[in-house]
Amino acid sequence: MVERIKAELGATLKETPVGEADYRERGYHLFAEVASADLLNVARFFDERGFYLAALICVDYKEYLELVYIFSNHASLCKVKITLKIDPAKPVAPTISTVFDCAYWHEREIREFFGVSFDGHPNMTYLFLHEGIDFYPLRKEKIPVSDEDKKALGAFRPGEGEDTFFVNLGPQHPSTHGVLRVVLKMDGEYIEDAQPVLGYLHRMHEKMAENRSYLQFLPNTGRMDYLGPMAFNLGYVTAVERLCGIPVPDRANYVRVILTELNRLSSHLMWLGAYLADLGALTPFLFVFDDREEINDILEPVTGSRLTYCYFRFGGLYNDVDDAFVAGTRAFIERLRSRFSLYEKLVGGNVIFTNRTRGIGVITKERARKQAVSGPVLRGAGIPMDIRKSEPCAAYGEMDFDVPVGTRGDALDMYQVRIREMENALNIIEQALARLPEGPIMTEKAPRKLKPPKGDLYHTVETPRGELGIYIVSDESDKPYRMKWRVPSFSNLMIFPELAKGNLLADAVAILGSLDLVIPEIDR
Amino acid sequence: MEQIGNMIGWETVKMVVGLVGVLVFVVLNALILTWAERKVAGHMQRRIGPKEVGPYGLIQPIADALKLLGKEILTPREVDKPLYYLAPMIIFVPVLVSFVVIPFDASLQVMDINVGILVILAFSSLSVFSILMAGWGSNNKYALIGAIRSIAQNIAYEIPLLLALLPIIMMTNSFSLKSIVEAQHGLWFVVYQPFAFLIYFIAGVAETNRTPFDLPEAESELVAGYHTEYSGMRFALFFLAEYTNIFIVSAIAVTFFLGGYQGPFLPGIIWFLLKSYLLVFVIMWLRWTYPRVRFDQLLNISWKALIPLSFINLLITGGLLKL
Repeated sequence: MVERIKAELGATLKETPVGEADYRERGYHLFAEVASADLLNVARFFDERGFYLAALICVDYKEYLELVYIFSNHASLCKVKITLKIDPAKPVAPTISTVFDCAYWHEREIREFFGVSFDGHPNMTYLFLHEGIDFYPLRKEKIPVSDEDKKALGAFRPGEGEDTFFVNLGPQHPSTHGVLRVVLKMDGEYIEDAQPVLGYLHRMHEKMAENRSYLQFLPNTGRMDYLGPMAFNLGYVTAVERLCGIPVPDRANYVRVILTELNRLSSHLMWLGAYLADLGALTPFLFVFDDREEINDILEPVTGSRLTYCYFRFGGLYNDVDDAFVAGTRAFIERLRSRFSLYEKLVGGNVIFTNRTRGIGVITKERARKQAVSGPVLRGAGIPMDIRKSEPCAAYGEMDFDVPVGTRGDALDMYQVRIREMENALNIIEQALARLPEGPIMTEKAPRKLKPPKGDLYHTVETPRGELGIYIVSDESDKPYRMKWRVPSFSNLMIFPELAKGNLLADAVAILGSLDLVIPEIDR
Repeated sequence: MEQIGNMIGWETVKMVVGLVGVLVFVVLNALILTWAERKVAGHMQRRIGPKEVGPYGLIQPIADALKLLGKEILTPREVDKPLYYLAPMIIFVPVLVSFVVIPFDASLQVMDINVGILVILAFSSLSVFSILMAGWGSNNKYALIGAIRSIAQNIAYEIPLLLALLPIIMMTNSFSLKSIVEAQHGLWFVVYQPFAFLIYFIAGVAETNRTPFDLPEAESELVAGYHTEYSGMRFALFFLAEYTNIFIVSAIAVTFFLGGYQGPFLPGIIWFLLKSYLLVFVIMWLRWTYPRVRFDQLLNISWKALIPLSFINLLITGGLLKL
C-alpha cells in the first residue's frame, strides 16, 4: 500500500519528491512538500483513493508558516504528511474544504489562530474566539488582527427568514452537556439549518503546551476530556515516549491497558445515562452512575483522583497497583456483566427508545470518511476501524478483541456499538489481568529532563470518543515548539449540521447525543 | 341559620363549603404527590429520596412550598404582561371545577350534576388556553414551541379520551358520575370494557403531559416548555395544576372503570382514594421508566391507533347493547 501510494503520488506531483519516513519515529509513512497550486490536485488524489483528512495543522516557523495535512486510510495503515509553506506576511492558501468537508472547520480554526486565510472557503468567520481578540494567539510573534480581518471574521449574524425563526440550543441547555451552542434555524419544529458556535470553554491548551515542559503539560491532558482522561493521558505519554525513544516495562503497559479500558467503560456508561436523559428517561442515568461509582472507587486508591486522572508517567506509571485493585476489578467485571441484561431490558428492548433512534442521524460510509468522524460513530457507520487494532500502543497489540460495526449507521447502531464495546472492554481487562506480568512499573532509563530530538510526530490513540491525534514539533528544547490536538469530538461534531437538517428538534437532540460529545475536548 | 340558608339557598352554601373542601384537598393532594413522586423516583433510581425533613421526609413538600413562596417572583422584561400574569391563575380554575362533580363517597360529592362528565371534559379542555397564554405571553421561543405542542397534543388526545368514556355512558344511559358508580355494584366496568380502559388511561397520561408524553415541557429539548419563564409561586401554580390533573385523570378512571367508591369492608372514601392513588402510582411508574416519544409519533399513536380502536370499541358496544 505504502509503495503503491508513493509511486502514484510521485507520478502526480512530478518534480517534487515524495519522501519516506520512519513510521515508528514519525507516525507517518510518506511526506511531501507541495506548492499551493498543486494542493487541490493532491487532495483530490487522496480523495479518489479513499483516504480521509485526519488532521490539518498549522505551525509557525517564524520565517514561514507551514500547513500540515495528515491523510490517513481506514482500510490499511498508510499515513501521508503533506506540507505547504506559506508566506507569513501575506498568509493565503487554497481551501480543500471543497474536497474534504472536514477541512471546513479546521480551516476556520487556523484562520482565527494564525490569520491564514483560505481562498474559496465559504465562511471564514470565528469558530472559537470572539470579536474582542486583537491578535492571533498561536503565532510566535504578536501579530495584530487588522480591521479588515476583524470585519471578515465577525460576519456571522443569523438573519430571520419569512417563515423561520432562530433558536439557540445552548450555551446553557440541558441536552448540550456543557457549554456548546448550536444556532438552529427552525421552520416550525423542523430544522432548516444548524450552526454550532464553539469556544465557550476554550482554554488554549495548545498555547499552554508551548510554555510548559513536557511533564508540566501532562495534567492538562486529563482536563480536555474529563470523561475519558486516561486515554488522553495515554496518548500524550506514549507520544512523548515515542518521540524520545523511552522504553516502557511490560507491567506498566498492561496496567495502562486495564486503566484505560476501565475509564472507557466509565465514559461509555456516562454516555448511556446522559443519552437516555436526552431522550427523556431519567432513571438509567442513576443506574449507570451506580456502576460508574464502582469504577471510581477502584481507580481512586491507585491514581489518587476520581475525575481528571494524571497517573501515567513517561516511561511507566506513578505507582503500582496492588492485589486489592486486581480483586476489585475482577469483582466489578462480574457485576457489570450481570447488569448488561438489565440495560438491555430497560433500554435496548424499549420500543420507544428503538423508535426514537432507528433511522435517525444516518451516517453513510462515504460521509463518515469525508467528515473524518472516528470512534464509535465511525464504527456505527459500518467502517471497522479501531486504532487499538490498527496502531496498537501499550499492550493493546497482545489483546484479543473484535471491532463491532453497525449496519444502518443510525443512532441505534451507535448505541449498539457502544454497548458491545463495553463488553469488549470487559474482555480486554480480563485478559490483561490474567496475563499481568510482575516486574518494575517504571523504566530506569527515563531522563530527568526531557529534550526530544528535533522533528515532528503524529501519534494517534483510540479514546472513548474516537481518534485522538497529537502532533508534536520538537526543537530540541524542553518545551514543545508546537503541539496540536486533533480531538475526536471536534471532528464528530462537524457532521452534526448535515445530520440535523430537515429533522425535528427532538431528533436533533437524539443525534447530538448519539455523537457523544465532550465540550471541553472540542474547545481545548 | 335556616333563614340564612333560605335566603341564599342551601345549594349555594353547600357549593361554597364544597369548594373550600376541594381547595383544601387540592393542596393536600399536591403535597402528598410531590412527596410520593420524589419517593417513587428515588426508589426506582436506587436512591431513597427525601429523608431529612421530618420522618421519611414527610415535611419535605412543605419545605418546598415555603421555598417557592419565599422566592422572588421574576417577571422578564419583554413578556406580554396580561397574558403572562393570567396564565397561572387560569390554569387553576378548571381543575377546581372538575372536582365539584367527582363522587368521593356515596354522600361525599359537592354536586351531582346530570351532565357531570361533560362538565369535567369541558373544563379540562380549558387548561389548554392557559398553556397557550403562558407560552405566547412569555415571549420565549422554547415556551412557544411547548405551547404549540401542547395544543396539538390536547386536541389529539381529547378525542380518544371521550370516545373511550362513551361506551360506559351508553351502558348506563347517564352522564352523572354517581349513577355510573352505582351501576357498577356487581361487576366493575373494566371487565366489560378493558380496551376502553386502556385507551382512556393512555389518553389520560397524554392529557396530563406526563412522560412518555411530556412533550410540552420536554426538558432535554425545550428546557421547561411553556413554564420556562415562570418562577416562584407562579411556577408552583403550574405544578399544583399538574398534580391535580393527574389525580383527576385517575379519579375519573376509577369512577368509570374501577367501581368508584365501592368496595367491601372499608368506607367508600378510603376505597376511592386507594384506587385513585394506585393509578397515580402507575402514572409515576411510567414516568420514571420510559423515554419520551417524538412529536410525530405521539400524534400517530392518537390518530392512527387510539381513535380508530376506540371507534371500533364503540361500535361493538353499541351493537351488543342493541342485541
